[in-house]
Amino acid sequence: MSVLEGRRVLLVEDESMVAMLAEDMLLDLGCDVVVAMRLDQALAQVEAGDFDLAVLDVNMGSTRSYPVADALFERCVPFLFATGYGLEGVEPDYRVVPVLQKPYQHAQMRRLLEHLLTCEDLPRKGGSNGGGFNCGCVGGHADKGGGGYRADAAR
Amino acid sequence: MSHSRQPLQSSLEAAEPLQTLRRGGQLFETERRLNAVLNNASVSIFLMDDRQHCIYMNRAAELLTGYTLEEVLARDCPLHDIVHHTYPDGRPFPLAECAIDRAFPQNNQEKGEEVFVHKNGHFYPVTFTASPIRDDAANIIGTIIEVRDITEEKAAAERQRLLVDELNHRVKNTFATMQAIAAQSFRGTDPAALAVFNARLDALSGAHNLLTEDHWQSASLRGVIERALAPHLIVAGDSNRFRLNGWDGRLHPKVAVTLAMALHELMTNATKYGALSVPEGHVSVDWTLQSNEAGVEQLDLTWRERGGPSVTPPARKGFGSRLIERQLPMEFDGRATLAYEPEGVVCRLQIPLTALGWYGQEKIEGRPAR
Repeated sequence: MSVLEGRRVLLVEDESMVAMLAEDMLLDLGCDVVVAMRLDQALAQVEAGDFDLAVLDVNMGSTRSYPVADALFERCVPFLFATGYGLEGVEPDYRVVPVLQKPYQHAQMRRLLEHLLTCEDLPRKGGSNGGGFNCGCVGGHADKGGGGYRADAAR
Repeated sequence: MSHSRQPLQSSLEAAEPLQTLRRGGQLFETERRLNAVLNNASVSIFLMDDRQHCIYMNRAAELLTGYTLEEVLARDCPLHDIVHHTYPDGRPFPLAECAIDRAFPQNNQEKGEEVFVHKNGHFYPVTFTASPIRDDAANIIGTIIEVRDITEEKAAAERQRLLVDELNHRVKNTFATMQAIAAQSFRGTDPAALAVFNARLDALSGAHNLLTEDHWQSASLRGVIERALAPHLIVAGDSNRFRLNGWDGRLHPKVAVTLAMALHELMTNATKYGALSVPEGHVSVDWTLQSNEAGVEQLDLTWRERGGPSVTPPARKGFGSRLIERQLPMEFDGRATLAYEPEGVVCRLQIPLTALGWYGQEKIEGRPAR
């Protein structure tokens, strides 16, 4: 059983058909998915929801998803960016966050999400070493389980 | 302006106050300041008399044209004959045909674009702004023309046009490649599934074509609707099956693409099971564009099938109903209902229209994206 089974994932993706694809992939991975396609919806979901993980499309039409990223950083919810531009499509302050190169691929999605759940260093805004963002809860996430995988949900 | 051989002539009475300025080197100081301004300006400035002879040009103008002021003054002819004498195709360009000359401005700030000829023979595009110089009695005694070389802007615009053309070409090729990959990958499997895929790809490609026509700024609402229904018209060859009723409008690319796909799904469903599956059935599409309660312009579109076989709701929800009922409202903060009424499917879409624009547009075009 994958470490992703039963995880609550926020998917932020602004194109209808692409959102359907990514949602199906996450469902296939056993995740419990909440989809937000607009910035305000995504922010409200982060505010209200209790997420284990998030997948953020960077470019959302006339805006970008960085405010959602900031809200997730604040709540120490690990997340990844999805963009067709790859790492270059992400603002320098946010390059510590794993980037999923679009188009969405099942294997890549799975690998990055598993990495996020098991990684000992939660990425912080502005760089992993002494970046501008420090929520102080990184230690709580550095729970070393057997083989690097945590057995319990990181809620 | 010490080089001016023929100072602009004004009447004696009008010139009178100048005499008082000559006291104590005041005029010299003014001239020195003006020369400092003019010769450090990056825009080319030409001062013309009423015969269109250039009587002064600044340093930028000398660099632009390749001629010194002395050379221009020595020619003693209209400036046109020095810098504007030949069309870019090589034909002679007589003064009588010159827009700048014809526009000998009555109004301030007459603007235009022309192609000048450099002293060394090469052509260069310029923009000009011409304004009349008046004496104190308001008689026009000359023209001041500002000229700017726009070779770089023209080249940048041309590069951008080529890039957009290339991008459109590549997107089209990518669609064709996707079709080819699908055809190869699903060879020998269910041909109906491949046909469904190809039709959806074609619907997407059609929406892209409409957007390409307007450089991906927007697409015509009516165009999107007609394009989405076109495959049925081509197959059935009967345009009386559709009744379209509504004013045209411009759709944001995202709205255009999702709406095109939603209408494609409705059309496909109607062709297979609904009103378009029998000869006597028809579909009406009625829409309005009005401000919604939030003051945002909203598309309110109703798809109504009539005259088809009696409708029973489908046992399972497929791609089409998921796209229409769930994704579309979520994408645009709108509403969608899909009703399987016994006398025909009715779909109502209420889509607040996103302001035209995309992230980064203001950087590229220098105007706000929303």
